[in-house]
Amino acid sequence: MNRRVSLPPAVTRLMACLGGSVVLAMMVGRQQGSQQDYGLAFRESVLDVRIIGFLLLGVLAFLVITYREVVTPYVRRPGVRPLVVAVLVLVAAFFLMKWYDPLGDGKFGTLADAVAQTSGILPLAHVFFGWLWWVALIGLPVGTFVAIAIRNRRLAWIMAGLSVVLAVLTLVVHARSVAFAGGVDHSFGATTAFIGFLILAGAGVVAARSQEETAKTRAFVEQVMAYRPGLPLIVLGILLGLLALVLATWLAPRGDNLTLVDTSSLFSGSGLDGLATAVLGWLAYVLFAVVAVLGAAAVWLRSRALGWATAAAAALSILAVLYTLYAITDLAADQGYGTGTGPWQNLGTGGWVLCIALFTVGAGGAVAALQFQGRRGPEGSSDGVAGRLHDAGRSTTIRSLALFGIGLALFYPPTASGFWQQSLSTTIGVYVLLAIGLNVVIGWAGLLDLGFIAFYAIGSYTTAYLTNSLPVKPPSWLALSPLWAIPIAIAVCLLAGVLLGAPTLRLRGDYLAIVTLGFGEIIRIIAVNNPGNFTNGPRGVSDPVPHPVIDLGFVRFEWGGTSLQYWYLLLVLLAIVIVLFYRLEGSRLGRAWAAIREDEVAAQASGVNTTRVKLMAFAIGASTSGLAGVFFGSQVGFFNPQNFVLNNSILIVAYVVFGGMGSLIGAIAGAAALTWLPDFLRDQVPAEDRTMWIGAVLLIMMIFRPQGLIPARRREAELTGLAGHDIAARPSVQAIPASEGV
Amino acid sequence: MSTAISAASSTESDAADLVFDVRAITLRFGGVTSLDDVTLQMRRGEILAIIGPNGAGKTSLFNSLTGVYTPQEGEILVAARPGDRPQSVLGKKTHLVNHMGVARTFQNIRLFPALTALENVKVGVETRQKSGPVSAMLGLPWQRREERESTRAAYALLDRVGLAGRANSLAGSLAYGEQRRLEIARALATGPGVILLDEPAAGTNPAEKRELAALIQQINTEGVSVLLIEHDMKLVMSVAHRIVVLNFGKHIAEGSPEQIQRDPAVVAAYLGTSEAEAEQELESHDQPELRTIDISGDPLGTDDPGTSAPEGSRS
Repeated sequence: MNRRVSLPPAVTRLMACLGGSVVLAMMVGRQQGSQQDYGLAFRESVLDVRIIGFLLLGVLAFLVITYREVVTPYVRRPGVRPLVVAVLVLVAAFFLMKWYDPLGDGKFGTLADAVAQTSGILPLAHVFFGWLWWVALIGLPVGTFVAIAIRNRRLAWIMAGLSVVLAVLTLVVHARSVAFAGGVDHSFGATTAFIGFLILAGAGVVAARSQEETAKTRAFVEQVMAYRPGLPLIVLGILLGLLALVLATWLAPRGDNLTLVDTSSLFSGSGLDGLATAVLGWLAYVLFAVVAVLGAAAVWLRSRALGWATAAAAALSILAVLYTLYAITDLAADQGYGTGTGPWQNLGTGGWVLCIALFTVGAGGAVAALQFQGRRGPEGSSDGVAGRLHDAGRSTTIRSLALFGIGLALFYPPTASGFWQQSLSTTIGVYVLLAIGLNVVIGWAGLLDLGFIAFYAIGSYTTAYLTNSLPVKPPSWLALSPLWAIPIAIAVCLLAGVLLGAPTLRLRGDYLAIVTLGFGEIIRIIAVNNPGNFTNGPRGVSDPVPHPVIDLGFVRFEWGGTSLQYWYLLLVLLAIVIVLFYRLEGSRLGRAWAAIREDEVAAQASGVNTTRVKLMAFAIGASTSGLAGVFFGSQVGFFNPQNFVLNNSILIVAYVVFGGMGSLIGAIAGAAALTWLPDFLRDQVPAEDRTMWIGAVLLIMMIFRPQGLIPARRREAELTGLAGHDIAARPSVQAIPASEGV
Repeated sequence: MSTAISAASSTESDAADLVFDVRAITLRFGGVTSLDDVTLQMRRGEILAIIGPNGAGKTSLFNSLTGVYTPQEGEILVAARPGDRPQSVLGKKTHLVNHMGVARTFQNIRLFPALTALENVKVGVETRQKSGPVSAMLGLPWQRREERESTRAAYALLDRVGLAGRANSLAGSLAYGEQRRLEIARALATGPGVILLDEPAAGTNPAEKRELAALIQQINTEGVSVLLIEHDMKLVMSVAHRIVVLNFGKHIAEGSPEQIQRDPAVVAAYLGTSEAEAEQELESHDQPELRTIDISGDPLGTDDPGTSAPEGSRS
């Protein structure tokens, strides 16, 4: 018998860490050699001085793992968690984000060089881009960490203050540099750095204020959120509003970035109508001040009426701002000022940021109002999903985040670059819809479906057929605009779901996965083979699918001018789907799905008709992809069977798992994050490396947070092993034991 | 109820009022005969216990009664709720058997662990409701009314098994005895005429066993017939009106607890000896009690270690 050489565990671990660092070095470095020299890539990425840096990283990881017991008390100190996040954000701001995109690659270094070579710019900018940034980037986190480690409150306060100063400085200096150079700017570097420094300041404050030895992050957050419900939103909104009113650009017609004041003087006496002139001149400030004061009062006085008043005032103000933006761009285009040819062009970020700010403050008011409304009602209403697990702080947090997310979804995209607008409304939007649909099948009913893309294909081809875009024409009475095709496409997908489900749902687990995988391929191959000249084969649809039109006689609106129009259509569809599915999850059918996922035999014995319930999961999931198919078909116009390859099915499964199986918000977040990532990586890593990095992200996620980004309560309970008796022992709050110890 | 109890003491069965009428069923798995020509009748309103050594076919019988297994021979008729016409169980799907009024629990607890206790029971209640996914999505009035009704019914059931305080705890986080009771609540939620309990006392402590016995009797007095598999003879003797004994898939004895305790065939089955030896054994003891030769493997229940020894070889 061969005896295995047993190494001490420490040596094995060190070798694993070093091996990992070599892999990382290869990932970061060059990966392809040439035909003349196959070893080139390996030599350049591994056999090079830079490997020392990576090996040091490996050794560091080894030390951290080995001396975890020694390190842990420090890491658990209050403030360390935000500190780590802040450092990550700052590093991301430096390495990944663009600081001023008209400058080629637009990274920090490029801008710093440009500033160094330019005289006449704010002296502070020279200092900031010259050395201050580096001192801050290294000094502030180190200083904050020292303050946390030696528990020096004064030092922590100083670091927090300096961080705030640096945050403001970053924005000011960047804005001045951009204004100096001119040109439209879509960069996020400075904003990200701003956020990073603010988080760092938060770490300092936490360290200075906290009495405890170990951090109770979740409890702390909930305490903050429950202190005055809505207050964090109000503060955030006021900060954003000040930014919009003072610094941000409102109009950028010829490369000149006009702030609110500049815009106001530009349009003085140009025949702009009264409201818009007033908003530009003084009304914007007044409206913002009114909303902010109302919001602050509502939150502080815990007044329900004031809360709703804030929300209403914010809504009116947003309308006024939007009208102004429309008026000024319309006028600018009319008078041939700048390059615009119609309304909504050449806008800066200012107006939109002000909208986000107003929305956020209004949302703060609404959160406050809802919270106090809830207090008055009977406590502990019978709903099972809600119930004890959600205490006040947690529900406020969720509401606040959700509302802020809605605000961003509404008003952020117009400030994004054309590429991101396109990406948002095509890939991200469509895959979010698909992930919501697949979440029903995988997350709720627990059926692994690897052929989900087939329903999407069926939906797309149905749309193409109904809109006269395939070689085979529908009867004339059936030729429809895409919007009217939605119910039919949904119905066809429902039917397809039932047809696939009926024979296959007796199978379980792996067998079902294989059969659905086969189904997905069959549908794609049918599309390629073009039976009866229906699908037009691999070339895809023969005529472009038309854009959706709303024609009510007196108003007519046709989509297709910009990607943004599709984005807003998508938001409406998403909102409807989310509301419907949210209700479904808490209904009888949702519980039956959970039951068969948990224990099919027990569900049957309890009288659940498992076949019927599973069929419904398949059909309802499929119907969502019918909706996505309509949206996708009419937006891109052309598609072919290549859009429906197996790879995409697997990607959707990955989105659902990544986001958190069984969680509606999780599926959306997972799909958004993982479709955003490749587009984001486009600028960061070579194109052929992208999938590798995505794979690495997935791996790390599944190792450290297997329950997904935003796990469903039910699933979270499964994956964290219930920690059941723990819950039983503690009667009050903190019912969800997960993640704090991860 | 009193009529049912008095019926239990009589040996003649009243053919008109049977919950289960099992006629000579035989269930085989390949070469193994799990149930061999078993015939038994369960009367309405009684607590009938099925006992027998491990591998005797008790759980197979339960699975046959609930439609999980279909016996190759014989017939099973069920008329679970009062006034039902006897219908065959054979070939029916499990959930349909449940809809006919037959509810069950499992030997190894099978709850939906990641659902709350309340949701577990609601799943059961809602299998009798009508509203579909569309009305749920649109929040239509009758769906909301059904939702309220199911919540109210589920709370009432939890209260009945003493779990009202744990309604929003995850089922998987409940203590073992609580899980057993929750499973009973879920079974009752489907509105059964007969409930099949598969070793409800397994793994519970004496105090929980007493509560369980009270619960079983209470369920029974409320008009639900109870079919019980149990190894704990104390519990069986205290609650059962009648007992059926299975051994090696065969029906070997049937009668009141007193009769069963004195039945040589039963004692032989439990001791693993011949009937003649068992008869001697019975005569030598003045007042033999079957619970002293309990096969549950509980050493505290056996005062003679020698009697429990052969059991190990049997399983």
